[in-house]
Amino acid sequence: MREVAIVGVGSTVFGKFPEKALDELGGEAARAALKDGGVEPRDIQFGYCSNLYGGMVIGQAVLRDVGITDTEITNIENACAGGATAFRKGWWDVASGLYDIGIVVGVESMTTSPIAGKLIPPAKGDISGELGMNMVARFALCQRRYMDVFGVSLKQIAKVSVKNHHNGCLNPYSQYKRELTIEEIINSRPICEPITLLQCCPATDGAAAVILTSLDVAKKYTNSPIVIAASVLKSGDYTYRWQDAAFSDMTYKCANEAYEMAGLGPEDVNVCELHDAFAVTELQHYVELGFCERGEEVRLIEEGITAIDGKLPVNASGGLLSKGHPISASGVAQIAELVWQLRGEAGQRQVANAKVGLAHVAGGEVTELESGAVAVHILKR
Amino acid sequence: MTTRVPFREGLFEKVSGQWTLVGCRCKQCGQIFFPVREWCLNCSSGDLERVNLGRNGKLYSFTIVHMPSEHFEPPYAVGWIELAEGIRIFSQIRGWQEHPLGIGMDMEIAVEKLWDEDEKEIIGYTFRPYVVKQRGVKQ
Repeated sequence: MREVAIVGVGSTVFGKFPEKALDELGGEAARAALKDGGVEPRDIQFGYCSNLYGGMVIGQAVLRDVGITDTEITNIENACAGGATAFRKGWWDVASGLYDIGIVVGVESMTTSPIAGKLIPPAKGDISGELGMNMVARFALCQRRYMDVFGVSLKQIAKVSVKNHHNGCLNPYSQYKRELTIEEIINSRPICEPITLLQCCPATDGAAAVILTSLDVAKKYTNSPIVIAASVLKSGDYTYRWQDAAFSDMTYKCANEAYEMAGLGPEDVNVCELHDAFAVTELQHYVELGFCERGEEVRLIEEGITAIDGKLPVNASGGLLSKGHPISASGVAQIAELVWQLRGEAGQRQVANAKVGLAHVAGGEVTELESGAVAVHILKR
Repeated sequence: MTTRVPFREGLFEKVSGQWTLVGCRCKQCGQIFFPVREWCLNCSSGDLERVNLGRNGKLYSFTIVHMPSEHFEPPYAVGWIELAEGIRIFSQIRGWQEHPLGIGMDMEIAVEKLWDEDEKEIIGYTFRPYVVKQRGVKQ
């Protein structure tokens, strides 16, 4: 297995752009990544594109608009982990020696999707979906249990949203650039109790792209390649094996495998982008990703350890809560953000001297499984 | 008269006049499944027996939903019910306005209308807070 590096990244600004088609959004991100890497479209040997709501062969349409045709292009869907899944497939195509250089694009237009303005339901015919399940309800059930069993308050949970919205103010790519208060978050309208509107990630349009090469080829393009130290993707296990719905078994297992693959531990991580689809999930993921023991997660946010200037900055980009969540683009956008952070190009939201970054996404609701998919990637410079 | 149609076949049935969920148990490893499976998802054995799951369970968690879904207008309640057999199932929760919900609360199955579709009434299982009947009071 060869070492794989990232030589170019790009992203659109995230926000609500119903007038922009998927090829337009995806093309903008792909061009930015090619330019960033100094890579010619004709050099690209393969492409992956993740998208959930757009329809057929979105990747071909996106890459047609940047001059990449007559090559191997694969379209990927894996709910909120779609972008990370596409990135992992690109990693493997280079690591295995099949190709030397390729592009991964994640793109989503939530404002023009069939579920615009609605709570995201499971796939048609899913039993829980028929009975009124949706993504927010699912996490509200976990949050209620977590608050009840572990004695965590809504005020403490809201602090995650305060932090990430503060970070979003510093990120030009962020959908929201507005500071929030704890009171505002708690008193915003209830969506699925105890989750209120401002504890949720918004509906977002946007795209991100990444260029992957073998480490040898990377030297042609850059003196500072970012290396992929670990890539792990897992599907969910049966709920009858999921003992405690206050925490995610999937994320815990996926992170452990990623640390083992990288030969690193949670103590080595300097910067992290994790799946804060809801404020509460960030606290739970601190534990599952090994950043602290159960019961210590609130301290991480209250003592500023996960703030941009803390010891372990989490979601310096603003996270899904503030930067936004174009479902299939988020996993790729996290990689772009970590690359900027590791290169020292993250502007006002730059964390100090980061050498190792971790990206985590999870998602997809399906009856009888904990969740659909989770992915953890570890990058290093 | 309106036709009553289950939202899906084979999930629940009436036994001795009382509604129960239809599950199965693996005779090799003992794992319980709902709904019924062709083979054991735990140990792959084909030796499964149909079982009627208990009518009662405990409320593992719940939420009041404030936005519409395909079939339900807000506000409506849903939750995970932990059955004595050791599995959790997702269900609509009814009766929550009369009896405020709490984690650990005893719940009882009902089968009732979920939604209307054309001329049909679509029915399914729900869970309701289990209220101990007072002596002499018919409920």
